[in-house]
Amino acid sequence: MNENAGLLSNGWRRMAHNKRYIVWFYLLNLALAGLGAAAFSNQAHDFLDHSLLSDRLLHGFDVGVLIETFSQPDFGPTHAARVSGLHFALIFFAAFALFLPGVLQGYASTYRLPREEFFRACGRNLWRFIRLMIVAGIVMGIAAGLLFALRAALLTKADESTNELLPVYVSLGSLLVIFLVMTTFRVWFDLAQTDVVLSDQRAVRRSIGAGFRHTWRNLGRLVGSYIVTTIVAAIVLVTGILIWLKFVPPASVFGAIVVSQLTLLLLLIPRFWQRGVAVSYYLQNMVQPVAVQSFAPAPVIAPSVIAPAAVEPAAPPIIPIPPPEPQQS
Amino acid sequence: MKMRWVIVFLPVVTVIAISIAVHEHANRVAAAEPTTPIASLAQAAAPAAAPSNGGPLSIPDTTLAINSSTPMSQRVVHYEIDAHYDAAKHIVNATEVLTYHNLTGQALDHFPFHLYQNAFQPNSTWVREAKVIGSRDTAYEKWESKEYGSEEITNLEVVGQGDLTSQLQYIQPDDGNKDDKTVIDLRLAKPIAAGDYVQFKIAFQTNFPETQARSGWKRDFVLGGQWFPKVGVWWRGAWNCHQYHALTEFFADFGVYDVKLTVPQFEVVGASGVKVSETSNSDSTKTLVYHGDDIHDFAWTASPRFRVKDDGVYQGQMGPVNMRILMQPAHWGQVERHEKILRESLEQFESRYGPYPYKTITLVDPGSAAAGGMEYPTFITGDTNWFMPGGLHLPELVVEHEFGHQYWYGMVATNEFEDAWMDEGINSYSEVKVLDSILGKRTSILNMAGTTIGERELQRGTYADVADLDPIAQKAYDYYSNSSYGGITYGKTASVLLTLEGIIGEDTMDRAMRAYFMKYRFTHPTKEDFLKTIEEVSGKNLRWYFDQAVYGSPVMDYKVLKIESFPVNWYEDTKGAKKDDKNTVYRSFVWLQRKGAFVMPVEVEIKFDNGEAIREHWDGASRWTKFVYEKKAKVASAELDPDHKIQIDRNDFNNSYIADSNGKAAQKINNYWMFMTQWLAQALAWWAV
Repeated sequence: MNENAGLLSNGWRRMAHNKRYIVWFYLLNLALAGLGAAAFSNQAHDFLDHSLLSDRLLHGFDVGVLIETFSQPDFGPTHAARVSGLHFALIFFAAFALFLPGVLQGYASTYRLPREEFFRACGRNLWRFIRLMIVAGIVMGIAAGLLFALRAALLTKADESTNELLPVYVSLGSLLVIFLVMTTFRVWFDLAQTDVVLSDQRAVRRSIGAGFRHTWRNLGRLVGSYIVTTIVAAIVLVTGILIWLKFVPPASVFGAIVVSQLTLLLLLIPRFWQRGVAVSYYLQNMVQPVAVQSFAPAPVIAPSVIAPAAVEPAAPPIIPIPPPEPQQS
Repeated sequence: MKMRWVIVFLPVVTVIAISIAVHEHANRVAAAEPTTPIASLAQAAAPAAAPSNGGPLSIPDTTLAINSSTPMSQRVVHYEIDAHYDAAKHIVNATEVLTYHNLTGQALDHFPFHLYQNAFQPNSTWVREAKVIGSRDTAYEKWESKEYGSEEITNLEVVGQGDLTSQLQYIQPDDGNKDDKTVIDLRLAKPIAAGDYVQFKIAFQTNFPETQARSGWKRDFVLGGQWFPKVGVWWRGAWNCHQYHALTEFFADFGVYDVKLTVPQFEVVGASGVKVSETSNSDSTKTLVYHGDDIHDFAWTASPRFRVKDDGVYQGQMGPVNMRILMQPAHWGQVERHEKILRESLEQFESRYGPYPYKTITLVDPGSAAAGGMEYPTFITGDTNWFMPGGLHLPELVVEHEFGHQYWYGMVATNEFEDAWMDEGINSYSEVKVLDSILGKRTSILNMAGTTIGERELQRGTYADVADLDPIAQKAYDYYSNSSYGGITYGKTASVLLTLEGIIGEDTMDRAMRAYFMKYRFTHPTKEDFLKTIEEVSGKNLRWYFDQAVYGSPVMDYKVLKIESFPVNWYEDTKGAKKDDKNTVYRSFVWLQRKGAFVMPVEVEIKFDNGEAIREHWDGASRWTKFVYEKKAKVASAELDPDHKIQIDRNDFNNSYIADSNGKAAQKINNYWMFMTQWLAQALAWWAV
């Protein structure tokens, strides 16, 4: 638990010292979503701005009127509007992948990472990240496919039970298991990504291997940290929606925008916190000790044994050498 | 244990645990169920097949199941059924003695029978249609033979004419599909004269399907609906006995039902009518005897797990009504909720339309057995879930709707094959009225955390999408699609009748509905019977409306096309003359458009920026019209149908136009859209990068 707390607090500190990344990503997402929703917004204004009926959408949340709005042939989340939104979501996804190496480099850095270094890390790791994402996509895709197939089989079986609640329990339980397994995979590839960036590892397979080994050996600690951060995300989302529903007057568009956008901004924190956790773990456990040559001149006097602890590197490594990794079964 | 092993073994352990639990239960049921051989059933059927009293045939005039001292319907049929249910195989072996009174006014030389359960075969018309237009029951690609249904007459004797089993012939009056066996015709050796009786002694076997069309078995639950050979209806000078279609329901004559059900001892049973007796048998079975008066169908259900609440009594206008509620154990916490809406529905229907004459109403919660939301005489199924917040009124909606069918189907027994709108649509209209009264006009479906849905908006919503596809007055099996059937039959009919309220007045409409029910209960009215009743009560010729709204499919869509105001002396303004707003005279225009083909007189309210409001009338005959005003005020808004009487206008948003635009509503829903888009992007980035 203490180790977990250490990992979490360490990760939190790294995230908190680099808050600007969260703001950037939030702004990027906001801008892209704004572009993605432009078609929908124009449709909505054309359709609603001069109608008295739109008042029922404003004062309260009359789902019946909303359904009627969307069921009109000349309005609604049409195919074009949906595809547009999806495309911009994909662009954000790509941007996230592109800029993530810079974020990891920044988290590992003991100083504020200059812009050039940030983008250099992004560029240097672009192709590695693409390869990592492909591998992660294949592995996680297969795992998710198998798990959901297993879940479907379980639900079919549970549906034969006369216990009316069994399918509910199986459904929720299997989702929990899938979440745990997929979180484990997420931890694995987060560590691999961290290793690729911070070790400047060209052989992506080595980082994947290292990520796997460390995830497996420290599963409880790492997955535990990720679960805590995910729970925080869930709390943020639920709290945000509750505040939106309970405290924002239905007609207050500004209030709704503020609360919804604040919720989205805060929702980014747990994910960056997880990245901080991965970097902290890497620095504590995964950094390979740097072999250092001693340039001390040969002793003139009679030789004597020099204690290893007395040996100092000629120059500190970029990344501090961690203590030796404890042996794990 | 380390978490990695928990993660690895949890799914495996769960699979094993579920498999063991399911198999153990299956073994228990199989061991407990004695299988009744068909041969022994045939012996049991023999005494029942003989005339019971040896005297002349008749239909009983019993009133055991109704709060009336005399029969309430013209009784045409008397079914005496002795059925044995094999719960392990989901099979009913039974004998049926059907006494039919020929009130057709002419001799009858053949009798068609429905064998509804044969619909659930791969080549039946029902399945062929369901595969094309969609079904809520099964993905037929994965359908296995053990899930099929069937219904077979193994022997048929006509009293006085002998064994006529060989004279039975499957017919397909609707589509000629030779593989469809849902209607069988019997040609008699001697015709039955007008006014005479005939008695059929039938032995049959029904294999229930895994629930299809809300009938059949699921796990240890069974709902026996449309499970016995049912004779067609002589209607409008001919036999009316349609094949079973994916979108159709049923049609049958009123009469008396005496049904003996033999089921395993552990089953909890519910059924139409009143229970007369229950006896235990030596072979771990029990026999329950039910009796129904003035009903046209008989359904039953059995499950060992039902929890029963049967102490509720509603004091009806004709006498007490026992409310029997069979709930799934997991839903027992909702039993009071179910009883409450059932009682309120009884109150509403009695006060609005007329008395409920039966002594019982049975409400069944089938759970996840896919049999929810179905109606049979004095027997309905609800539909709920383990998670059902109080503000989400879906159980109330289903119970009210199915109870409404006791009136629009149960008593006013319209032809559901040909006039589905007369039961489903009129019932949906009643549903709006009743749920508005009980749960509030804008909150009758959902009322949670400021989020609301009203029933009439829901009905409009289902109709708007399919408004131009089908007319209301159409055979149920001729609809374009499942959603068209639903949207038109339910949604459009409800909206058309709500609009009719606006034309003839709500009070008049209420009187017309009551008059229709009281006049046509226990009969088979036609669509014209209904429409003429409304005309008679209202004293208005409404053909112009019925021709478009009921018989036709034109779409109504009125629109305020444009509003505009400019100073009469506009040229002075351009010369830089000083404006004097209070004394400036404006010429204002309001253009209205009839976008759809539906023509209907409408009112429009025009408001000016000095607070003045004017109401105008437009007959809608032309495609557009224009109103012009000269006032010391500019037009601020125009609204068609300002009292919101018209429910069938496909697009209510363009029924008004305000000069000063207000973008807040658009901003509000755009914010929802943005939020969803951003959240999607973040979720994608969370898991995939």
